[in-house]
Amino acid sequence: MRYYFKIYRLFFKQYLKSLMQSKLDFFIGLFGCLFVQASGILFLYLVFEQIPLLDGWSIKELAFIYGFSQIPKGIDHLFADYIWLLSSQMVTNGEFDRYLLRPIPPFFQLLCDRVQLDAVGELLVGGLLVYISVSNGTIRVTFIGSILFVMAILAGAVIYTSVKLFFAALAFWMTNSFPVLQLGYEISNFTKYPTSIYPKGIQFVSAFIVPFAFASFYPAEYFVRNESFITTIIAEVCVALIAWVIAFSVFKKGVSVYKSAGS
Amino acid sequence: MKKKKKKRKVKTNRLHVYTPFGKSVIKDSLAYKGSFYLFVICKVLSVFITYYLWRAIFSSSDNSELGGFNQVEILTYVFMSFVCSNMVYISMTTKIGENVVDGSIAINLIKPISYKSKLFAESIGEMIYKFIVPSVFVWIGLEVYKYVILDEFSLSGIRIALFLLSSMLSFIIYFLFEFCFGMIAFYSTYVWGMEIIKNSVLSFLTGQIIPLTFFPDFAQKLFNYLPFSSMNYVPVMIYLGKISSSELIFSIERQILWILILELISIALWRRVVKRISILGG
Repeated sequence: MRYYFKIYRLFFKQYLKSLMQSKLDFFIGLFGCLFVQASGILFLYLVFEQIPLLDGWSIKELAFIYGFSQIPKGIDHLFADYIWLLSSQMVTNGEFDRYLLRPIPPFFQLLCDRVQLDAVGELLVGGLLVYISVSNGTIRVTFIGSILFVMAILAGAVIYTSVKLFFAALAFWMTNSFPVLQLGYEISNFTKYPTSIYPKGIQFVSAFIVPFAFASFYPAEYFVRNESFITTIIAEVCVALIAWVIAFSVFKKGVSVYKSAGS
Repeated sequence: MKKKKKKRKVKTNRLHVYTPFGKSVIKDSLAYKGSFYLFVICKVLSVFITYYLWRAIFSSSDNSELGGFNQVEILTYVFMSFVCSNMVYISMTTKIGENVVDGSIAINLIKPISYKSKLFAESIGEMIYKFIVPSVFVWIGLEVYKYVILDEFSLSGIRIALFLLSSMLSFIIYFLFEFCFGMIAFYSTYVWGMEIIKNSVLSFLTGQIIPLTFFPDFAQKLFNYLPFSSMNYVPVMIYLGKISSSELIFSIERQILWILILELISIALWRRVVKRISILGG
């Protein structure tokens, strides 16, 4: 384990060096992510100028759900951003060969290859919204609550990474699975709002096929509405485990059939 | 070297020189059909999400009208916004960025054709393709749905013609704006980051996410002085018949005015930037 930490640190240092080369790019990325978040919040704000409650939810509650859902997304974005490249180009140009030549598990190398600091934008906005929700009393802070909060966020991040890994691993068969991954990832945009506003079909897909709802709306419901702990947090952890097992075995299967397509 | 070639006045404005560029874009899209269709599904899906969100908003409200829209109008607004923005909004930034990064822009400068006209021809090709897949189908689907399920039909030939005219003007405004924005690629190579900043700002200011009437008054006044409302909001409002005939001419005139302004800006920017690229390449 310590060995892996050491490797990760070494990769991270290299990455920071390359980042320092173009600080402007870092700020562009950071502001980009902040802007995307800000526009989502602005939309909610403008809508709530017109209505008091959306499907029974107040703006404070929605702000928490929105903020909460951005944190797992941000964590995944921070650590596992390189998965996007697996889906789009690593198989096509044979870059994946590199991973198979080293005595470290390929998935770990995938994580090592990039720390995407743009994600700070999502984490910042998510953290801020959660902080506001705590300070205005929408969320009550308890000891158990805080532990569950951390658990829910970690499980949520696992769900994000698993979904991405699953779709990206399809690239081993399709060479380029970027559009499929993009389509799957798009679902995460629905789940930052209460899923009850959608028709049953979309609710089902966002819960059980591409389970982003379990990384955002369902656990958030526990904190806002005191929903039963079993159907929210425990369910989320179970979904995260199942999603991870499926995604990782598809990834491993994919690695075993991988044929370098590059020159 | 490159600059000399540029200065040699070659007659570059003949149309037939540029049509192959437009055609090649269409052929390109046809070659990668699979990924293109998935991308289309992705976009259509997010339109439906927006619509469901609006439906929830309307069913939570006691008023049958919000921001001057009733439920059928907002349905039309959301989907026609997609129809319009999907075909007129052709992103150039990534393409310009790639050309700058891999240096192929230098080849473009040596050729006796104008880079901007080439991009414009390519945009037209892409627009035609995107009009067919899927804009026109979404459009027909929307009207059929409104007619069959909601029993509403309020289309007139003149309004469709005005919508298409205004959309074409939007297309040119978008193109010129994109061209100007794409010039940033000469200064930073991180095109992805700029793309998402631009897209999130544009999707708001052009009224794609939410009709501009939902904004506070001072913001609405401000939007009158910006080119963005002319890009998507105006054609969709014309289609909805929400712009009265006296305002209509004014709106279209404003679109034309923005084309002129952006054209001048783009010429000025291009002159500056071309000098820079010769430094980089040397």
